[in-house]
Amino acid sequence: MRSGPVRWAQVAAGLVRVSLSAAMQYRADFVMDAVTGVVRAVAAVVPLVLLFDHRDTVAGWTEGEVTLVVGLFFLMQGLLSVLVEPNLGEIVEAIRTGSLDFVLLKPADAQLLVSLRRVDPGPVWTLLAALGLVAWSVARMPPPSPADVAAAAVLLLAGMAAMYGLWLMAICASFWFVRVDNLRFLLWAVTDAGRWPLDVFARWVQVGLLVVVPVGLLTTFPAMALRGTWTGGTVAFGVGVGLAFLAVSRAAWRAALASYTSASS
Amino acid sequence: MIELRALRKVYRVPEKDPGLLGSLRSFWHRRYRDVVAVDGIDLDVAAGERVGFLGPNGAGKTTTLKMLTGLVHPTSGSATVAGARPQDRDPDFLRAVTLVMGQKQQLLWDLPATDTFLLNRALFDLDHATWSRTVEELVAELDLSSFLDRPVRNLSLGQRMRCELAAALLHRPRVLFLDEPTIGLDVEVQAAVRRFVRRWNELHGATVVLTSHDMNDVAALADRIVIIDQGVLRFDGSIDALHARFGAGRRVVVRGTEQALSGLGFEADGPRASDGSGRWQRTVPAREVNPLLQEVLARLPTAEVTVADPPLEEVLTRAFGAAREGRA
Amino acid sequence: MRGHLRRALPDLARVSFAGIVAYRAEMVIWILSTLLPLVMLALWSAVAREGPVAGYDEAGFVRYFAITLVVRQLTSVWLVWALNEDIRTGRLSIWLLKPMHPLVQHAIDMVVAIPLRALVLVPIVGTLLLLRPDLWRTPSPAEVALFAVATAVAWLLNFLVQALFATLSFWIDKSDALFGVWFAAWSLLSGYLVPLSLFPPGVRPVLAALPFRGMLGLPVEILGGFLPLREAVVQVGVQAAWLVALLGAVRWVWAVGVRRYGAFGA
Repeated sequence: MRSGPVRWAQVAAGLVRVSLSAAMQYRADFVMDAVTGVVRAVAAVVPLVLLFDHRDTVAGWTEGEVTLVVGLFFLMQGLLSVLVEPNLGEIVEAIRTGSLDFVLLKPADAQLLVSLRRVDPGPVWTLLAALGLVAWSVARMPPPSPADVAAAAVLLLAGMAAMYGLWLMAICASFWFVRVDNLRFLLWAVTDAGRWPLDVFARWVQVGLLVVVPVGLLTTFPAMALRGTWTGGTVAFGVGVGLAFLAVSRAAWRAALASYTSASS
Repeated sequence: MIELRALRKVYRVPEKDPGLLGSLRSFWHRRYRDVVAVDGIDLDVAAGERVGFLGPNGAGKTTTLKMLTGLVHPTSGSATVAGARPQDRDPDFLRAVTLVMGQKQQLLWDLPATDTFLLNRALFDLDHATWSRTVEELVAELDLSSFLDRPVRNLSLGQRMRCELAAALLHRPRVLFLDEPTIGLDVEVQAAVRRFVRRWNELHGATVVLTSHDMNDVAALADRIVIIDQGVLRFDGSIDALHARFGAGRRVVVRGTEQALSGLGFEADGPRASDGSGRWQRTVPAREVNPLLQEVLARLPTAEVTVADPPLEEVLTRAFGAAREGRA
Repeated sequence: MRGHLRRALPDLARVSFAGIVAYRAEMVIWILSTLLPLVMLALWSAVAREGPVAGYDEAGFVRYFAITLVVRQLTSVWLVWALNEDIRTGRLSIWLLKPMHPLVQHAIDMVVAIPLRALVLVPIVGTLLLLRPDLWRTPSPAEVALFAVATAVAWLLNFLVQALFATLSFWIDKSDALFGVWFAAWSLLSGYLVPLSLFPPGVRPVLAALPFRGMLGLPVEILGGFLPLREAVVQVGVQAAWLVALLGAVRWVWAVGVRRYGAFGA
């Protein structure tokens, strides 16, 4: 049997195919998700347009730069809701009913299976709208250097890793407290704060949005890279936070599995 | 109390080819197929009767029950229950009937059953005196008092079902519809539920209509059996009549050895000992019972012989088989 | 029928309240999840620090979004999800067998939750006022009365719109997706993200005629003193007109939907 990345990719591709097939059944939803993606992007940008009718900059950020942060915010929301979020609800149910046993018996890494058990393709449209916003904003800014782009890409990955870690920890919490699924509403609500440049917030909120709910890492930091206001320290900090979240969440996962007693009734 | 005339229900269901390609295709162009669930049923049930609907899964029992309660609208034909057209959902009709579903529940999950009773008092506009008298009676009959104050989610399946029954009967409906009422319950609770429904029917004269795939439910509860298969009424009568029609005779059971009974057409009924002795059974038409008994007793004068109706399951298998052949 | 509802109300409310108490932890998490006004507040007060925008100074923005937080809590309903769940699990069949409209029970559930919401809001608003006493503005009795009416009607509008979307579940598989589109539009056009007076003058009359403003922005503007009283009265009239239209629409769509539910198998 093959192992490593190839096998992981095969497992992932299979899961995506099954999910797509299931989602196609809901054809009205499919169209609806597309419309939702566009309407949400418009609803997020219009306030900015209104704002910049009255001002040239907000907390030192220009219109293009703030739009970039909003685009990155939607990119994050899209990625979370395509890849990560659907699994939280699934896993809570699997723990309650004991069907997690079947996952644990599969010959693949359980963390991967749990993280990719279900892929929800609906918000793909949010992702497309987000990419559109990012491209549009970057076009309205002074062109970034290759180093800026590289730094932004690294920070984006680090931020995604950190958010994945946060969500995985929420999944782990459901091993101990089964009724935890409501917490994800709160998690979503807090990530909403990532839609503006960190500079508009009070200092303590900024710190929280970087190391507790690291959404700023995924939105403000890459935007800083693209506008050229970054140093090696910025990237090092971002990568450090990302790795820390991955490591802690992996440890939490191990601990959760160790304490897992399958529902027997 | 219940009148069905040429009652028919056709569902339109979307079709999909398997796999991703199939999904894509049905995404653009959705095809439909007509499924006939109930195919013209005529039936009359008098007040106070206990009727059991029997049939394999997907035979149309539950659909019929849902048409009788007004949840599903007939495609054609008519139903009259307690003097009303069920699908009009007239408040007086809703007060006259109740539906208990073994697979769904009306109890509020995170609250004690008493809260559901209170809710139903409000929804059915029951006056306080009648309501509390009925609650008292149901709590006593179903022996609910020890767990009435616990949230429903903490109750066992059997306790939950007993509370379900109480909640469904608070408004003293004239017609009880029970859809698979004993599904998943252990034998003791099943017996208790059957006993209770029977007693309620005898005490209050309420009409009882139940569906089940459990023969014991129907045998214990219903005086009248209605067999529905592939949406068509196949049989309507008493259990005795069912045996007479599909039983195809009586079942003779003998203890003895293979050699002694050879040539008489007996089949093994259970394991045999090393010398070939054991239980043997054969089902024969009624008029052949006596000649067969004489032959057996001639060969084995001291044998232990019993003659009985064949099990209901066997009769039903025959009934459904006959129905299929009749259709083909 | 009317007499029945009046007699039933105390018991219905009692059972609903027991349900709210059973779900109190979840409810509090839900309430705390409505943070978006605070996020918008951060942005707009950062903007206004450099000078007022369209008549809103920094304190004005903070007051606007603080009231938005309160009104959003007082007028929020979750009927789309509740009814979708009923239809998905088949529980709707059970409600349909009761001689009372299933929406009545849901409405009472949601009204009874309002005191709990208020309870959670009191410390939040209290802390805010303690930190920023300059936010306080004493409203006139007429403003308070009009605010109460506008908030009640806003609740009804939210309930009826969600009823309309939830009823669509009889036709499409997951109508909550459709409601997501509405919600995105609503958040922009109701004053949830931006005070409506920041829109260009040409757009404002359109916004005033649409139902969105009456679902959130109107009561906020009344209590915050952002709207002349005369104009507020006209807007409450617009609200009432939408209320009548929506009542008719919900009655009709519900009747057609229940028939369809019966046609396709309950």
